[in-house]
Amino acid sequence: MIVKDAVCPFCGCLCDDIEVEVEDDRVVAVTNACELGTTKFMGEKRLKGPILRDGDEWKDITCDEAIRYAADMLLSAERPLLYGWSGTHGEAQCVGVHMAELVRGVIDNTSSVCHGPSILAIQEVGHPGCTLGVVKNRADLVIYWGSNPIDAHPRHLSRYTRYAEGFFLENAFRDRKVIVVDVRKTETANIADEFVRIKPGGDYAVLSALRAIVQGKTETIPRTVAGVTREQLIRVANLCKSAKFGAVYFGLGLTMTRGKYKNIRNAIELVSELSRHTKFTISAMRGHYNVYGSNEVNTWMTGYPFGIDFSRGIAFYNPGETTAVDVLARKECDAALIVGSDPAAHFPRRCLEHLADIPVVQLDPYPNATTAFCNVQIPVAVTGIDAEGTAYRMDGVPIRTRKVLSTDYLSDREVLSRMYALMQEAQER
Amino acid sequence: MTELLVKNACVIDPLRGINAETMDIAIRDGKIVEEVSDAAEVIDARGMLTLPGGVDSHTHICGTKVNFGRYMSPEDMRAGRTPRRGPLHSTSGYSVPTTYGNSYRYSVMGYTTLLEGAMAPLEARHTHEEFIYTPLQDTMANTLFDGNWGIMEAIRDGDTKRVAAIIAWTLRAVKGFGVKLTNPGGTEAWQWGKNVSCIRDPVPYFEVTPAEIIRSIVEANELLGLPHSVHLHCNNLGTPGNYTCTLGSLGLIPDLNKKRQTLYATHVQFHAYGGSGWKDFCSKSEPIARFVDMRPQIVMDMGQVMFGRTTTMTADGPMEFNLYRLHHEKWSNHDVELETGSGIIPVIYRRKNLVNSIMWAIGLELALLTKSPWQCLLTTDNPNGAPFVKYPEIIALLMSKKYRDAEFATIHPDTAARVPLPAIERELDWYEIAVMTRAGQAKALGIQDLGKGHLGPGADADVAIYPLRIDEVDPATDYQKVIDAFSRTEYTIKRGRVVARRGECLIDGSNATFWVRPKVSENYDMGKDPDFIEKFDRYYTVRMRNYPVQEEYLNRNRCIETEARI
Amino acid sequence: MTFLMITGRTVNQGVTVEDKTSAAYATETSTCFMHEFDMLELGLADHDTVRVTGACGEVVMRASASVEVEMGTVFVPYGPYANHIVAAGTHSTGMPDFKSHEVEIEPTDEEPKRVHELMEDLGGLAYDR
Repeated sequence: MIVKDAVCPFCGCLCDDIEVEVEDDRVVAVTNACELGTTKFMGEKRLKGPILRDGDEWKDITCDEAIRYAADMLLSAERPLLYGWSGTHGEAQCVGVHMAELVRGVIDNTSSVCHGPSILAIQEVGHPGCTLGVVKNRADLVIYWGSNPIDAHPRHLSRYTRYAEGFFLENAFRDRKVIVVDVRKTETANIADEFVRIKPGGDYAVLSALRAIVQGKTETIPRTVAGVTREQLIRVANLCKSAKFGAVYFGLGLTMTRGKYKNIRNAIELVSELSRHTKFTISAMRGHYNVYGSNEVNTWMTGYPFGIDFSRGIAFYNPGETTAVDVLARKECDAALIVGSDPAAHFPRRCLEHLADIPVVQLDPYPNATTAFCNVQIPVAVTGIDAEGTAYRMDGVPIRTRKVLSTDYLSDREVLSRMYALMQEAQER
Repeated sequence: MTELLVKNACVIDPLRGINAETMDIAIRDGKIVEEVSDAAEVIDARGMLTLPGGVDSHTHICGTKVNFGRYMSPEDMRAGRTPRRGPLHSTSGYSVPTTYGNSYRYSVMGYTTLLEGAMAPLEARHTHEEFIYTPLQDTMANTLFDGNWGIMEAIRDGDTKRVAAIIAWTLRAVKGFGVKLTNPGGTEAWQWGKNVSCIRDPVPYFEVTPAEIIRSIVEANELLGLPHSVHLHCNNLGTPGNYTCTLGSLGLIPDLNKKRQTLYATHVQFHAYGGSGWKDFCSKSEPIARFVDMRPQIVMDMGQVMFGRTTTMTADGPMEFNLYRLHHEKWSNHDVELETGSGIIPVIYRRKNLVNSIMWAIGLELALLTKSPWQCLLTTDNPNGAPFVKYPEIIALLMSKKYRDAEFATIHPDTAARVPLPAIERELDWYEIAVMTRAGQAKALGIQDLGKGHLGPGADADVAIYPLRIDEVDPATDYQKVIDAFSRTEYTIKRGRVVARRGECLIDGSNATFWVRPKVSENYDMGKDPDFIEKFDRYYTVRMRNYPVQEEYLNRNRCIETEARI
Repeated sequence: MTFLMITGRTVNQGVTVEDKTSAAYATETSTCFMHEFDMLELGLADHDTVRVTGACGEVVMRASASVEVEMGTVFVPYGPYANHIVAAGTHSTGMPDFKSHEVEIEPTDEEPKRVHELMEDLGGLAYDR
């Protein structure tokens, strides 16, 4: 059987044109997906059933036991952390918010360690953006800044920019210029019309220089700015101003370096400035296929995109205090529920040392680095493969992922709903 | 079977011509009935003002742009917080509350039906997801067609039937309710950073004018037999002198429907400005109201501005950019491929600001100068003019000249020379307020036959009982009592259940979503049209099969099938 | 020698990210991409092991020459090796300094640990079935 128009649950591109060939409830071939997506669709190294750490051993337990364990753990915790969420569907994320509210926990998603700083910047200055199709059909200038789509979002270039057809572009490949700004000469830099190499930590200065040039203050620019020559800066500014439609896509190269959210703020203000001259937009290259969905769900349910603390009953938001890395590094939480992410692979060691000290339950289809810190892991169906549900693309477009095969695994939503029901019951007693 | 009997209610039910009669309301299984058994639970309304559940025919509560308003505004989220309590979830937000915040606060004010004013088809799924978490009101979504490529091409080709066919396919796909035009043509131009100035400006590349878009879509809307008329946010919002553009737009509309208006013009306050610039900015509510008085085919809503902080959000991207250049506050914009766009900025309307004071006056004038309350409905274009929690104050202002004068004394002193408000003596009565907040709204939306906006047998048992006796309260002088009563029902009943009592919501409900499925002939099924399919595949970034909103997103599905004449 | 360590995503890291117990994932995320001249300076041949010491610990990786990085900078694919030495401070943003970490790099004879060993060093228990 071939499933057409399947939705790839890997990166924020959320490609929905994938063909998946299924035989005997196994994926045997994948067409249209990139290497990342293909590997995910074909992946078979799943955990068979729930496991429990018993001293220095792992024991198999039933799903009911595992769910009960998780519910009890959260109910008896004083300050539980519910973290992850980017690797699951929106319906499960909604249950997660209700659970966090019930146990007065902290709920945070992986954006605190990817585009959290971008959100902080947006909360200061807003966000002039658009859907990916607007760029595909119109943009004659695309700037990748601190992002490397060839490695992290392989089909971004072919679906939306460099190699994409566009309604208003006669010959899209020729008529669309691509600029790459990075500290490394990445693979993406090799296919750019112009590569701007910045000294590490110099993004803010370069953005400020471009803003000054766009404002007509060229004479204030020194000979080089963070390793970029004045001539190149002027050339780039002119390319921007003369474009009919420009689009900036920025990545973790801006959010994780020195300056963090101030870099993004400067980039957004450059785009707002350019909007006075021509059409310009800016957007974040969101990583996980549904990290944007976790921001959306949290926002309509709590008012905030990430880092929400319910310990006072109300939703309280203070990134740097109520975000996962900080809560763990300060050894504040006394239990953790991890869903759809792998903090042990992606958090600094100090956070892991605390995870080792507290009870941890993880919902994840695969054994991963966090498994080592779990008391219980419950394998779940993979959204987009054996579970369906809503995901939000990096530009905010919601797409319902398809189920391409059936397994006995429960979905995240099913497991969490059962957990939540037990917790509600216990609260009423 | 559950039964409820509301006794001794002082009922105003304009759609049935009932004006302050003391009567009982019998409810069985969520519907109003003739009578119930002795086993029914009884609520003694003790002569309190009892109205059909409130209907808001233009509000922004759910979807991509609303949620972005929250996302970018932690300061607004902090400005209104309640903890989880009993069956109620925590809420955040003042001008753009969380979905639960919207739902609970509307419910406490007696509102049971809400129309989300602007849904981009590509992002419809998001709106429907948020509807699910708006549990205490029935919901429906106006669907944006202002910059739709397929429609503009069909208009250029003079093919109104194809326009209708594309609307039919899209409404069905995205589970939309009505047809919304926001700055028609302008949102497409804005994707090049441009705008259209008024209805005669051609849209770049597509070479159709807003006037052609409006006229053609109004015809298409009637070909499809939709319950609601076209819902228009005119071009040129918020600019001095724009009232001529508004009159020009309204003048395009023939009278095509016997049951309701042919055009719903929304938040007209923002479109009733005179002057050649900000320096001589003034009210033009009088010519607009006179024009509407003579044309039964037009219904408008106020779009009242109230002083204080709020967030503006609209599909009208270029307008928001202009606002940003005025205010220098944070600015968000979100263009949607092949369809429309949106923009958001926070604003503060100040009493000490002359322009803001004039805007405040214009909204009230529209309501007071338009003869029939059925033609000017009460809204703030929530949250653009003010958050909906300000409705009770607006009701009181419309009912009391004394209150208006007291407020007028606190605003910019030059306002008097620019607006007719001080000279208007009219005070609206309870019946007129009931029209403007439920009956008129239900009629304008075309949902009275679906049991909304009235209390006749067969209607949905949505009832608002306010703690106020109209024989004891003189609204002209006791305006604070009016504000208090409309802020907090004694009982709000939704589908036959008491959902709110004295300011507290009691249950975690579940709503119904109304959507429209026009039945068109095989030839006009765009799902099978090769040209439509080819363009979709080439220029959208979502596959056509993944575009329609699945049934999973509809709670208590109320599908309205219409017989289209194509 | 002192270097600026930058971490980031790579295709190989992404391909193996759902299979973190694999040797391929360990190999990818324990690779320290360096400029050829810097390697020369340290007397390193391709795939030699290096000890990388950060503010809060040390970890052994394997050096690999790359034309992408500048002198003075090293690039490590995002994962458990880099995070073994990244400090948890976020300057009140929630985000650690994943792309601006000063590290000391020296040649070593030790082999990189397996992901499991790293996790067990921090108090975890490897699951390997």
